[in-house]
Amino acid sequence: MASIFATMPYSPVWIIASKEIKDGLRNRWVSFITLIFMALSLSVTFAGSAVSGALVLPELPVLISSLSTIAVFIIPLTAILISYDSFVGEEESGTLLLLLSYPLTRKQIIAGKLLGHSIMMAFTSLLGFGITALLLLILGKDYPVGITVCVFSQFILSSILLAMTFILIGYVVSLRSTEKARAIGLLLFVWFLFVLIYDLVLLALLVADLSFMTPELINVLIAFNPTDIYRAINLVAVGAEDLQGTLSLIAQSGLGLSVLYGLLIVWIIGLSILALSVFKCKKL
Amino acid sequence: MTRSVVVKVTDVHKSYQDFVALKGVSFELHAGQTMALLGHNGAGKSSLIKMILGLIQPSLGEIQVYGNTLNASQQHVQLDIGYLPENVSFYEKLSGYEVLSYFAALKGVNREKVLQILVEFGLADAQHRLVKTYSKGMRQRLGFAQAILSEPRLILLDEPTVGLDPLASEFMYRKINELKAKGCAVIICTHELSLVEGNVDFALIVGQGKVLAQGSLNELKQASNLKIKIKSAALEQHHQHLNGFQSCYFQGCLHVDYGIKADVIRHITQHLGIYDFSLAEPSLNDIYQYYINQLEGQHG
Ligand SMILES: Nc1ncnc2c1ncn2[C@@H]1O[C@H](COP(=O)(O)OP(=O)(O)OP(=O)(O)O)[C@@H](O)[C@H]1O
Ligand SMILES: [Mg+2]
Repeated sequence: MASIFATMPYSPVWIIASKEIKDGLRNRWVSFITLIFMALSLSVTFAGSAVSGALVLPELPVLISSLSTIAVFIIPLTAILISYDSFVGEEESGTLLLLLSYPLTRKQIIAGKLLGHSIMMAFTSLLGFGITALLLLILGKDYPVGITVCVFSQFILSSILLAMTFILIGYVVSLRSTEKARAIGLLLFVWFLFVLIYDLVLLALLVADLSFMTPELINVLIAFNPTDIYRAINLVAVGAEDLQGTLSLIAQSGLGLSVLYGLLIVWIIGLSILALSVFKCKKL
Repeated sequence: MTRSVVVKVTDVHKSYQDFVALKGVSFELHAGQTMALLGHNGAGKSSLIKMILGLIQPSLGEIQVYGNTLNASQQHVQLDIGYLPENVSFYEKLSGYEVLSYFAALKGVNREKVLQILVEFGLADAQHRLVKTYSKGMRQRLGFAQAILSEPRLILLDEPTVGLDPLASEFMYRKINELKAKGCAVIICTHELSLVEGNVDFALIVGQGKVLAQGSLNELKQASNLKIKIKSAALEQHHQHLNGFQSCYFQGCLHVDYGIKADVIRHITQHLGIYDFSLAEPSLNDIYQYYINQLEGQHG
């Protein structure tokens, strides 16, 4: 283990990752969204208390389901903002050619960027959820520490995985774009599609209770959208199957946690392979 | 003295879809040699440089660097090449120091070297300012510093003096000559002919993807057969004694072939006793224009 850390600062992947983190920390959009995320997460948790004047905290399943609704919007959006100019930006500034003339493989470049951007997103979700969790544990006497920590860790882990899928979608689009503006435009469209349209359609189908909507088909539909897998993970993890509302229908998909995590990882691996092959075919 | 071959380009062709950018380029560059790569916009200069770097592959022909056919997997070769791309503006949100440290780290160069080169390139005062605030010339200097950081044996510079003030260009060529003296091979792709003239061992002129001429400046002068102009007030009185060269005298100058320069000078000094004359040899710019005009002549 020690030897891994000793060599880490000199590995190109780590050098690229730390540069991306430095770059990302100076991106005002990212700081701005992280703050909004934190504010939303806190207000969802403590809004009840503000209204009633006393400390009224929602039950854990309810809280997690509202938090995941916020996160499902914010996390992919932040991931896109971090990643959209990764390649098109380097191309415009002439550094992509330069990097490729260095003793680096395309795989190392993608891995370095992904590592750096994932660390940034981990930081964002830690701020967004971690502070909320901490305050809950300090203020709310009714929350069992073990379960709360477990649920929030789960939340943060799945958020990072969700972020990685959108970071990679960002790379694919960035690699194929010739202008930054086009890249961000297309990515916002993809975001809109995955986060809003797809879900609306899916929920409508679930509610409509159509005869062809077999549980298998629902599971397939969930598997095809990383944001739905994410929702499902967090609803299943907290045992929200008994909640009221349409969201809980997703939680009843019957897919186990490990399968859901597996699906997100399949997305990440698939998108990594896609990004790498797009990079290899890229015209210089 | 035979020096090792650093770059060997053999009959390289490059096509982009149906557009042929390079048609049969060959040359050899040895250690300690500098070469100017000249040609009009779109002649294929940058494409050639990218092929030498292994960033794009030739459609036909072969390129060897240090005796290896370069492809992406040959990292030890890439470690030994310095490259300044055209139009590089670097990472706007990082400081000059951070940018240089980043590229240094990727090539395993230490921090001391980074600091030293920043001082040498006159960027020490601005090293902690964001690159966003740098002028064009400062970015160009940063780019050049980046290219030579690892002290590579081959340096490829794509338009290095764009945006540089005269002193900065002079500094850059001084630096190039220092590296050459240490045995470095350098290829400079440029449009600033007067700057590169006198700073390179040979030039390769490409036009519409073809090699129009290649060789040392003297060889090019000879090959292009451009006239040398000899000018002197005394020539006017003696012009009937110019023997065979009379017809070459017009507009107050003797216009003679580069090949017979020595004969003519011997004649006017020894037989006519004229020592007070000026000699205007064809410049690289004249040679370049000659070949480009010829190319345009061929195409109507
Ligand atoms: N990826 C590409 N796809 C299609 N055509 C290309 C591509 N890259 C270059 N070309 C074409 O190849 C020709 C040579 O381009 P190159 O960039 O090598 O020229 P250059 O000599 O460096 O020109 P300049 O002096 O303007 O920098 C140009 O006509 C250019 O349009
Ligand atoms: Mg060019």
